[in-house]
Amino acid sequence: MIRIFRYVVFIVVIACLAIGLNNCAGNSPNTASSPPAATSPADSPTGVTTNNEPKININTAILSELDKLEAELGIPALSHQIQASRPYGSIEDLVSKNVLTQEQFDRIKAQVTVEEIVLTGEAKDVDYLTKLGLMKGHMIVAGQLLDLNLPDQAEPHLGHPVEEIYVDIAEQLPERNVPEFSDILTQTQDLVKSKPNDPQVKPTYDQAIAAVDQAIAALPADQRQSPSFVLKSITEMLETAVAEYTAAISDGKITEVIEYQDSRGFVEYAKDTLLKQIEPNLDATLASDLKTKMDTLFQAWPEPVPPAAPIVSADEVASQVKAIEQAAAPAIS
Amino acid sequence: MPEHQPINKRILWSRRQLLQTGLVGIGLAGAATGFYQFQRRQAASTVEIPPIPENTPTEGNGLSPMVLLRNFDYGTLKQEKGRTIREFQIIAENTTLQLNSAVSYVSWNYNGRVPGPILRAKEGDRVRVVFLNKSGHAHTMHFHGDHPSEMDGVRPVRNDTATIYEFDAEPFGIHLYHCHIPPVPRHIGKGLYGMFIIDPPGGRPPADEMVLVMGGYDVNGDQHNELYAFNAIPNYYKEHPIPIYQDQLVRLYLLNMIELDPAVTFHLHANFFRVYPTGRTLTPTQETDVITMGTTERHILEFAYRFPGQYMFHPHQDAIAEAGCMGFFDVIPKKS
Repeated sequence: MIRIFRYVVFIVVIACLAIGLNNCAGNSPNTASSPPAATSPADSPTGVTTNNEPKININTAILSELDKLEAELGIPALSHQIQASRPYGSIEDLVSKNVLTQEQFDRIKAQVTVEEIVLTGEAKDVDYLTKLGLMKGHMIVAGQLLDLNLPDQAEPHLGHPVEEIYVDIAEQLPERNVPEFSDILTQTQDLVKSKPNDPQVKPTYDQAIAAVDQAIAALPADQRQSPSFVLKSITEMLETAVAEYTAAISDGKITEVIEYQDSRGFVEYAKDTLLKQIEPNLDATLASDLKTKMDTLFQAWPEPVPPAAPIVSADEVASQVKAIEQAAAPAIS
Repeated sequence: MPEHQPINKRILWSRRQLLQTGLVGIGLAGAATGFYQFQRRQAASTVEIPPIPENTPTEGNGLSPMVLLRNFDYGTLKQEKGRTIREFQIIAENTTLQLNSAVSYVSWNYNGRVPGPILRAKEGDRVRVVFLNKSGHAHTMHFHGDHPSEMDGVRPVRNDTATIYEFDAEPFGIHLYHCHIPPVPRHIGKGLYGMFIIDPPGGRPPADEMVLVMGGYDVNGDQHNELYAFNAIPNYYKEHPIPIYQDQLVRLYLLNMIELDPAVTFHLHANFFRVYPTGRTLTPTQETDVITMGTTERHILEFAYRFPGQYMFHPHQDAIAEAGCMGFFDVIPKKS
């Protein structure tokens, strides 16, 4: 059933693509319903023409994008405030939710949107790396569980990459010259589910890992080694890890093994691969600070199989991640 | 909220509908149906709802199931380009439910409550749902009802990102929404579901309206449900019976969201209810005291109790009832 569903999802997505991305975007209801003021940069009293700049989606922008608004309006911590008051049904919600005064809003309204604008430029690439990073996190923990001869526990983590993430990057693969690779992900999951002791499990898994690595390698090397670029992705992955780690714990016990393992994989990939990649280009003090903080953070996940009770509380994990984000902030532009 | 169904309109409608159903009744079923129509006319003239018991426990749910029962979300009305938009804001998050004294359970849900908000619109309304995911895993909101493919809610929304679903509310009836990320049984079982009611253009006759959603919990991940519940907390309405008035027409919006079991048969004690399948009709299509519903099947049931006292309701798969899907109506004598 699940497998049939997966194909249905896939077909739906492909159908949408076949109709044409422009068409899908053109049908976006907000295109028709966004207030005229939002598209009229001339209204900006600052006189800055923002017409050519991509607009900032206040529902989805990452902190460093929102920082542009923070800087322009000179309101401390505005970026966090904008994030905390999500979601927004229209840009005017910035006023109705008391994030900005009308006067402040008028100054930046030409630069913001809630339309599902297609991500472009760096934001799109950060998003791409984050999604593939999450995939890798799932795959890494699956591999460790396979090594421990726990195929039942590995199986959900082989499912998540193709079920939760793949459909969302599939459309970008052709333009990045990455061959389609959902088949190998599905094959690995099917094999582990149905024939966990088959000698083909290991080579199939390795092929799946190689396919994800190949997709990541499609990003230009200077991006993959740029501290600013990669730290944005690390931040997103760590935030996701916090949400999942928190969801693994109830009543002082780790009750949801899957979410514990997901979060472990995300942090491990961020720490051992992404951070390593940018280390040579980081200021030495910052590099060692981040490395220490990440190593400390990772102590919450001593083994792929969770301890009965959490070693580190969810609140503590969240505040450690906050501290990492603050430490990394100066290196992010 | 009250703007939604002007009371005079509802009464007008009820008369018109009574005429219609009266004719059908005479034609099809004769005297027995006539009696029920008479009883219903009595019940429909005014709506009396007993005070909602105060300080009922939430058991970790965003709202006490006693409050949640009659808590309809009509959204916020916005005017854009001459068109009225009914906007709802939904955040996927995780909260811990106390399912019973021994089991606490991390739910994934919409707006901190299971089931999610009971979204309510009128047929033809433009509906906008702003959805933000703060729950870790990727999630979506897949609505039942008519809408274009890009609004179908099967495309993953990653943690910390948002999307907007917008469509016309069609057709009238009871629908639902749920997360469509695989494995769907887990995402639904965790609590990512809610009811979406589209009222017919003329509304329905006045009644004491309430929502019951049946759910199942696979607590240990063995692909079998160990606990079941109406409105998230097992045995809640057994311990806190739902007060209703004698002879008051009750309109129950009933939805089965139990995954991993193919179907359940809802049973109401000591009474018969009229069935409006999927809420897609303005006249009932049958009268019974048991109705079998597969996963995501939903109906409007209408009934009134003739005698005061406490009456059970539960699926007649009795093992499921005894694992938590059990409640009582507490029928209070009508004021003389």
